[in-house]
Amino acid sequence: MIPRRTFLSSLAAGAALLSTAVGALPALAADPVPATLRLKWLPQAQFAGFYVAVAKGYYKAEGIDLTINPGGPNILAENLVATGADTFGLSGGLDSVFAARDKGLPVVCVGIAHQLTPFVFVVRTDGPIKSIQDFKGKKVTTWFTGANHVLKAMLTKAGVDPALVDIQPQQVSVTPFVDGQIDVVTATRYNEYYTIKTRMGEEKLRTFVAEDSGVTFPRDTLIVSETTAKEKPEMVKGFLRATIKGWQDAFKDPKGAIDTVMKVAPTLDRAHQEFMLTEVQKLMTAGKVKEDGLFWIDMDAVKITQQLFLDAKVIAKPVDLDATFNRSFLEAIPVAERRP
Amino acid sequence: MSATAFQSPAARPGTSSFVRPLLRGVRSLAILLAVLLAAEGLIVLFGVKPWYVPRPSLVLNAILATPEPYVQGFLRTLAETLMGFVSGALFGIAIAIVFFRARVLRELIFPVFVVSQTIPVIAFGALVVLWFGNTLLAKAAISFYLTFFPVTVNALLGLESVDTRQEALMRSFGASRFQLLTRLQLPAALPQIFVALRLASALSLVGAIVGEWFGDTVGLGVLLLQGMYNENVVGIWAAIAMCALLGTGFYAVVAAAERALVFWGAEQ
Amino acid sequence: MNQTVAPARSGRFAAGFSRATLRGALGMVLLVALWEGLARGLALPAYTLPSVSAILSSIFEHRQSLLAAGAYTFAEALMGYAIGALVGVGLAVVITLVPVTRNAIVPVATSINSVPVVAWSPLILLWFGIGMPSKVVMVALAVSFTVFLSALAGLDRVDRRSVDLMRSFGAGRLAILFRLRLPTALPLIAAGLRVSTVRAIIVAIVTEMLGAYDGLGWVIYQAVLQVDFVRVWSAIFVASAASLAFFGLVGFAERRLVFWK
Repeated sequence: MIPRRTFLSSLAAGAALLSTAVGALPALAADPVPATLRLKWLPQAQFAGFYVAVAKGYYKAEGIDLTINPGGPNILAENLVATGADTFGLSGGLDSVFAARDKGLPVVCVGIAHQLTPFVFVVRTDGPIKSIQDFKGKKVTTWFTGANHVLKAMLTKAGVDPALVDIQPQQVSVTPFVDGQIDVVTATRYNEYYTIKTRMGEEKLRTFVAEDSGVTFPRDTLIVSETTAKEKPEMVKGFLRATIKGWQDAFKDPKGAIDTVMKVAPTLDRAHQEFMLTEVQKLMTAGKVKEDGLFWIDMDAVKITQQLFLDAKVIAKPVDLDATFNRSFLEAIPVAERRP
Repeated sequence: MSATAFQSPAARPGTSSFVRPLLRGVRSLAILLAVLLAAEGLIVLFGVKPWYVPRPSLVLNAILATPEPYVQGFLRTLAETLMGFVSGALFGIAIAIVFFRARVLRELIFPVFVVSQTIPVIAFGALVVLWFGNTLLAKAAISFYLTFFPVTVNALLGLESVDTRQEALMRSFGASRFQLLTRLQLPAALPQIFVALRLASALSLVGAIVGEWFGDTVGLGVLLLQGMYNENVVGIWAAIAMCALLGTGFYAVVAAAERALVFWGAEQ
Repeated sequence: MNQTVAPARSGRFAAGFSRATLRGALGMVLLVALWEGLARGLALPAYTLPSVSAILSSIFEHRQSLLAAGAYTFAEALMGYAIGALVGVGLAVVITLVPVTRNAIVPVATSINSVPVVAWSPLILLWFGIGMPSKVVMVALAVSFTVFLSALAGLDRVDRRSVDLMRSFGAGRLAILFRLRLPTALPLIAAGLRVSTVRAIIVAIVTEMLGAYDGLGWVIYQAVLQVDFVRVWSAIFVASAASLAFFGLVGFAERRLVFWK
């Protein structure tokens, strides 16, 4: 059934191509232009707004025929966007954008979804850790994909030498933390934290937040290639407008948004997805978003994060911030339309 | 069914060829049911937490609760597997014939093939997406990459095992090279080829599943990943069950084709 | 051509070996030249395809960390390989000694194997964690079935009349196993072991890429996230070399042990 559908859609795409080739008339330009969005991960409520915008035809209304391609382990949105395999990308975050620019990939960040660090460090309330100073000598697991630098920065600010903390790469599973084998675990607010909470109970958990230590690490960045930014600015604007509308709808009607997501990935756990959307909304509407609108690029936060990566020597030299971050596409949309 | 493949040919009766497999099928099903029931009982008895091993009934419930992704995933993965398997098998046999005929080419290219097989496919997932996009073709390509090599090796082995006296005899009757190939060499190589095809049936499925890890929405590989990263152990088991169904079914079909075509016995 | 092959057969290791090796080397050189030419000629960026020279110089530059990662992966693969081989041969021997168990072991082994090995990886990672144990288990799982099937085929291959003959002289099952069955089965077991080498390393790497503390798969995973594709290819090259070395080693041992083949 699916193969036939793809076959039919490719037939349709072929026909569309043919029709644009044959009749290069301006009247036909109203046909939506095919484009793709590469997500950073598998379909889930973290990306609800995009799915809502597709379902409600917001992209079509902007003249974009958008296909959402999920991510997965070992594929990188920056790479696929830079090479033109995908038009848009919701990529890892400032970490991956900086790394990509550092390695010379021609990608431009046109919006940031999560304004705050999306993960927290979790300990048990009945354990020995009451403050960050107590991390000393304890077993901490974290992701070595950026979260480790946030952790080290938080430790350093608290006057703890990171070398004195037993930092290990984190499991796929939170079970070692639940079983008490490790003292501190890293958890995204919308995913792992939910799993830990449902297994242990929220009252047994204490969390440490990066922003409390003056560190920040915005993630889930919207990227396009330099070529797209230069040659199709209208398409980028249209994409952003439709995306923002999709997210506004998702926040207004979370139930409907989860329905849309569950249609894409029916094996997901509904309760978890509802929790995820609530948390994602907090991350996306934090900071300056109330005034400046969704997906706003807060350059102060960007600079803090860049310093973090320079200190950790993840990037060799400061990147060209003006070339890497482009707010003009967002600014082209009236700010009233962008507010959550 | 593989049990029969390794029994001595003498133990395989020629008659009642339809009843036997049926009986075997019924017996395997009975054993499977017994094992599942035992697992259910033991898990309840020892109070095993569902995030280690869930009860089989939970897994079944999970599939029945949302059958659509499992059925669609099964069909999608099956299509990718078949595409990879068929193209891999045909290419494998064709290249074996080329190598068989042209020794120079074989010595030039074969080592490259060997080296290519030492590369973990998953490592260039990004490249595959880059080259083929998110299409069926990308998965079929990976599946093909894993499939063709064992077929080439075994087909070559089979072609070279042809009795030179028979070859000389056919030549003396004026058989052309093409006739030699289709009448003598390929039939003689068939048992060896089928040994590889049975192996390739499993490998092509692996290729399809791994291919689905590079960003797709439908497929058993997608369900496996979703289960893993959401720590949904029941979901993982449900996907594994579907993989087992697909793997066993495909293997059985290849083995049945082998029994039908290589009636003169597939001794290794 | 045929005439030259016939006399060369006696001195297969001298003449035939070197000529085939020469051509094989030539094939590899051509491939490398083509690759280098494509990467340089089209000025492909590293994230599409880096040139071989860039990869090799990166390997040299990072030789220490790559060697350490390679050793880690190799250790995992070797441990899993040893366990898998023992389990595989052991099960086949058990079946031969106690034939009743065949009906239990073969269906269970077949059904475990009918699930592609990679499908077990999420579960194994959740159960055994992302350290070494999960990789060892995965490799053992992948290796044991291949070895089991080839060992069983080998043990079954024994001529019934020879068994009857030994029995008539009063030989017990164990004696028949060690004197007759195992020596007969050895070439097939060795072939199974040889095929499993490459698989062992690939499975270790694939599992590492889904979660690990160290190893080549971990290097690849990290390098992808840091958009360092030269490093990805460096790790792939090292992995490939390790597989070939492992394959060669087992092949060498096989030629030594199974000299009558």
